[in-house]
Amino acid sequence: MQIVIIGGGISAAYIANRIKERAMEADVHIISNEPCAPYDRIHLCRLVGSKETPRDISLELHPSVEVTLNQKVINIDTDAKKILTTDHAYNYDKLIIATGSTPKTLFDIKDLDNASVFRCANDAKKIKEGIKGREVVIVGSGPIALELLETLNAMEDTAHITLLVRSNRLYDRSLSAEAQNEIESAYLKSGKLHISYENEIIDKTIKDGHITQLKTKKFEINDPYLIFGVGIQPNIDFAKASLACKRGILTNDFMQTSDEDIYAVGEAAEVESLNFIAGHVKECTLQADVALSHLFGSEEKRFTPEVSVDMLKVGEFDLIDVSSPERTKEQAFEKILMTSPKDHRLDEYYISDDKLVRFIGLNSNVDVGYLEDLMRDQNPIDASYLYENRVLSERGRLICSCEHLYQKDLEDIVRMSGVSNFQELGEFTQAGRVCGCCKNMVKNIIEASQELIDPNMPKKTPEDIKQEKEIARAKERIEKFNRLHPHNQLDTDNLSSAMDAYDITDKEMNQWVSMVTANMQLHPEFEELVKKGVKTLNRVPVIWLELADCSGNSEAFIKTADPGIADLIFEYISLDYHELLMSSAGDQSETVLEHIISHQKGEYILIVEGAIPLAMDGKFLRIGPQGQTGLELLKKCAEDAALIISVGACAFDGGVVAAAPNPTGAVGVSEALGRDDIINLPGCPVNPINIVGTLLYYLMFEELPALDKYNRPLWAYEGRIHDNCERRGHYELGEFVKEWGDEGAKKGWCLFEMGCKGPYANANCPTMKFNQGTSWPVQGGHGCMGCVEAKFFDRLATERKIEEEK
Amino acid sequence: MPNRKKIVIDPITRIEGHLRAEVEIDENNVVKEAYVSGQLFRGIEIILKNRDPRDAGLLAGRICGVCTNVHFRAAISAVEDAYGITIPTNSEIIRDLMALALFLQDHVVHFYHLHLLDYVDVTKALEADPELTSEIAQKYSSQPYRNSDTHYVEVKEKLKKFVDAGRLGLFSNGYWGHKAYTLTPEENLLLLSHYLEALKFQTDISKAVAIFGSKTPHPQTIVVGGITSVADMINPQRLNEFILILKESKAFIDRAYLPDVRLITKAYREDIKAGHGRTEGNFLCVGGFPLDKAHRLFEDGIIFGHELERVQPFDESKITENVDRAWYEGDEPHYTDLNEDGTLKTQKREDKYSWVKAPRYEGKPMECGPLARVLVSYQKGNRFIKPFVDEFLEACQLELGDLATTVGRNAARAIESAYIGEYIFKLVNNLLEHIKYYDTETWSKYDFEELPHQAKGRAFFEVPRGVLSHFVNIKDQKIANYQVIAPTTWNASPKDSEDQRGPYEEALIGIKLEDPSRPLEVLRVLHAFDPCLACAVHIIDTKGKELSKYKINSICSI
Repeated sequence: MQIVIIGGGISAAYIANRIKERAMEADVHIISNEPCAPYDRIHLCRLVGSKETPRDISLELHPSVEVTLNQKVINIDTDAKKILTTDHAYNYDKLIIATGSTPKTLFDIKDLDNASVFRCANDAKKIKEGIKGREVVIVGSGPIALELLETLNAMEDTAHITLLVRSNRLYDRSLSAEAQNEIESAYLKSGKLHISYENEIIDKTIKDGHITQLKTKKFEINDPYLIFGVGIQPNIDFAKASLACKRGILTNDFMQTSDEDIYAVGEAAEVESLNFIAGHVKECTLQADVALSHLFGSEEKRFTPEVSVDMLKVGEFDLIDVSSPERTKEQAFEKILMTSPKDHRLDEYYISDDKLVRFIGLNSNVDVGYLEDLMRDQNPIDASYLYENRVLSERGRLICSCEHLYQKDLEDIVRMSGVSNFQELGEFTQAGRVCGCCKNMVKNIIEASQELIDPNMPKKTPEDIKQEKEIARAKERIEKFNRLHPHNQLDTDNLSSAMDAYDITDKEMNQWVSMVTANMQLHPEFEELVKKGVKTLNRVPVIWLELADCSGNSEAFIKTADPGIADLIFEYISLDYHELLMSSAGDQSETVLEHIISHQKGEYILIVEGAIPLAMDGKFLRIGPQGQTGLELLKKCAEDAALIISVGACAFDGGVVAAAPNPTGAVGVSEALGRDDIINLPGCPVNPINIVGTLLYYLMFEELPALDKYNRPLWAYEGRIHDNCERRGHYELGEFVKEWGDEGAKKGWCLFEMGCKGPYANANCPTMKFNQGTSWPVQGGHGCMGCVEAKFFDRLATERKIEEEK
Repeated sequence: MPNRKKIVIDPITRIEGHLRAEVEIDENNVVKEAYVSGQLFRGIEIILKNRDPRDAGLLAGRICGVCTNVHFRAAISAVEDAYGITIPTNSEIIRDLMALALFLQDHVVHFYHLHLLDYVDVTKALEADPELTSEIAQKYSSQPYRNSDTHYVEVKEKLKKFVDAGRLGLFSNGYWGHKAYTLTPEENLLLLSHYLEALKFQTDISKAVAIFGSKTPHPQTIVVGGITSVADMINPQRLNEFILILKESKAFIDRAYLPDVRLITKAYREDIKAGHGRTEGNFLCVGGFPLDKAHRLFEDGIIFGHELERVQPFDESKITENVDRAWYEGDEPHYTDLNEDGTLKTQKREDKYSWVKAPRYEGKPMECGPLARVLVSYQKGNRFIKPFVDEFLEACQLELGDLATTVGRNAARAIESAYIGEYIFKLVNNLLEHIKYYDTETWSKYDFEELPHQAKGRAFFEVPRGVLSHFVNIKDQKIANYQVIAPTTWNASPKDSEDQRGPYEEALIGIKLEDPSRPLEVLRVLHAFDPCLACAVHIIDTKGKELSKYKINSICSI
């Protein structure tokens, strides 16, 4: 397959490398209109301020990628599948456009020798040559202009620089006056710079391709070197004739253009449904991943914008700009401003509708990761928390905004692991590698921290460090949970006394905690936290709905409890509605349900057991005094639930009720609600330990555990039964049970020949077993019937091998 | 109907499944008419059609997760019956052991966790005197379970803290303070302390089922021809574990469960004598569980109209089914919906109102379950059960016929539990004898291809809630038709073409409600039957008479 990429920047190189990772055999061809191989534009300033050449900032490229330079594409012939440049034509099977953008100018500067934009290596070269002995005039004060300004400010070749700013603010007109002063004074330190606010060019004199004089509203400048930094626009002229375009080349959510063989990503593309054009490296690479997933027909990914983080490092100050994808420029906002003049620290929180939509920090010590989560999850802002955490311990300066790595973190990694260079660091963190912005700073820190390494100390592996991080994170979550739920009626004291009431000793409690911890595949160091999690879990109200079911999962639940703690938690403390066990009935139980739904909106967890019959308008199942259908009741309870967990095979995909010919049109919870955020815990019945583990995970991390494509938590459903089976050794030795009750059966040999479906099923049955570790179907000599898998009654639930089935 | 008021109770909680009751009361709050309705249809029999008969067990087991192993077993036994396969005695015993362990588990869970709160007022227990509680316990047992007064002090104190914490969870919004709660604070405390103990009991006893069943609910070790857990069977450690669990269970049943039921029986003596919860008095029992070549744990027999002296032999050809008032037409589901306000359509005599069909024996509605088993076995002179029944009746000063009431149903269930708790060891012993003499056979070999391609079979079993029967019709090695009549199908049956009420409905007639907005008395009547609705709802082969045409084979001894 011939895949052609148009463009010469980060996106183009990224895509080419990714294609090679996926499909080595594909022919990948980059066509660029630049004179040099793809390089990292983020570091363009280095070409102006030092002796470095484009080669120094070039991007790594897979050796088998073909690159053709100096080719300006002028048209695409979609019928013939060819792209046409000024002097060539190239064939493609699939085409990916990553042409980025072109800078705007206020007048045509194409033939002028002392004016430029700042976009490519040629621009850098031109600036470097042109500024000598001239007064530099920069128009605009956005990120690009400010970054270049920082470089020029530090260069010996510049004596006078004038910055023309149309508004009265640098960087962004919504910044506070305090922030403005802070930024301004950092730039003015050099003494070379003159900033002129509310000013712009109104006229110019040009002779022989040279600007001899610029006239602004307020003054005139002779023989300037003029640089425009006033914004960019998608570089798409060549595509306008052949592809649908608006501001950019229009694409669907899979980054596919109006021609199905052509994709567009990055600044050149406009995602039509979102009206969105990328502006950050992270968004561009994300779009590239989406396009490639679609192109290769692998798992379905749609592009959705993420929270963006920008950083600007000038001299001693850092500016961090975190912005929510929900933010619009016209949006009205309120602002919380926290300033510390002593530390030159400034945190500006932009809030709309109780939600954080943007954050701009100067020399900020705020945990950017927390803010990103806040914006991503659309959680309401908690001002007191922000205040309490405005100075995040002693982590120092934020170095990598992509990976949220602070100076101290990086030093710690070096100290603990003995990393000696940037190459080695890659094992531990991606800092300096995502957008590449901070690569040099990272290198410097590694170098400077070498003396911290104690040669006698055992070095930590990446896993050690990752795990420490996770523990710290879990701790934080639980503290946060406690803080977020101050109105709970049961505190830890009352809970422990209730536990005494059920004769649960500390030892039993600890045993149980160890078991759950192990089951969640967490390191034993998590036990303390799990225990804490268990104690706070009662604060979450739980509604357990039984729909078209057999109560098997409820039964499993009340029967499996190692020391009885689960009974305590689920039956008596948090399980507020459960038809099998609750004392109230009829109208009174309806009242309980209504009360939870209306008074604890968004707080309760909904656990659903059983399928949902949809045929006959759902009337195969009716519940409650008004005879609501199962579907109606489910919808009512689901609407305001904080989390929905489907337990058992029937709630997963209809289970036995939906087995052929599915007489009641039954489906699982996810399908009934048309939602893809339901956690599925299939099994017939589910192993209750997996319910407990999932709840704990949610509590501790306030997020869903990692899920597989069926939304089953990986920690419980990742391992293949066959791989962890106690009889696996017999399989390897070819020792098989050949008929029920034979000698092999008595000796516990492999059940594969008897139709065991362990090789086709994924779950933790072999390790957790059932009824407090008493047994499981393989130990019972029958073998697995794949009850955790989709549609198992129609595919797997037999005592014969799959290939023997007709 | 003049002056009649309709009360709807839905959901009926603390049961398996989706059950609704509608009762009509007169101006004195006395129940005059009752309609009991199953509100869920799944169609498991339709799903069973066209499948390999060997797979019927795994699928039919899913009929119910509470009566979990009995459907699994019945389906496989029905297939074995059709093919004429006799299974090794070891397998028969192991299937029996799993079933009997389930009896104990179900009965204890039923009494404490599903039914007790109809008699015990959690809030009242807080006023109890612990010392007095200990004394009271001794009135009902010579060796009461965990009976030191300090234990009750602890339980009470901790309950108080729990209630004070303000979050009652599952205990919230019960009918607390209702006048029909008449136990003393001490009696409440005593029973509640056992409610907590029973939580542990039921997790332990379920381990016993899992030892041979691989897990419960939904065990997975029964196959056509025998069982698969042979490695567990020949492992002395596993057998020992099974025995230990059963010994502990027996202690709890003898020292807590049975005495507690005696206590309730005495406290509600008036209700018993007033005949609360009496039905027409038709009882059905198919018997089962061989103890040796000559004796069985339960006898089979039929009693009509409370005529206890006249036990007739059970004849399966007399079973018919009626769907005039159930949501079926022909052998297809035929839903006629509810009224606009969500109530059952019951205005006209031909209105349909339930997914439960109406099985009849000689045209009569029949009650099955522990009560029927105790009555029939006792009256047929089963010498093993006799002392258990006599002892209870004497301690409570009751006649045998008094058991045919709401409170009496609980008494029969407790008597039966103590009885099984004793004689399950006889079965274990039988198994040990076999193994000791090198009989470890667990599967009868057959060649599936050689088996008849057309066959019919059926299986009748006594299971915790009553009589369970499965019927299978095999054509071309596939299931052509399948049918189930479960215990709750009998007990929760709707009316029929003759307008005869089902046992639940009949038992409700004449009950007086203290407070119609809090119909505790209705719950007591229904819970005493231990309803299990997932089991109950089955489609029907409308030509009910056809049932008897299923091949009758002597190997299925029960």
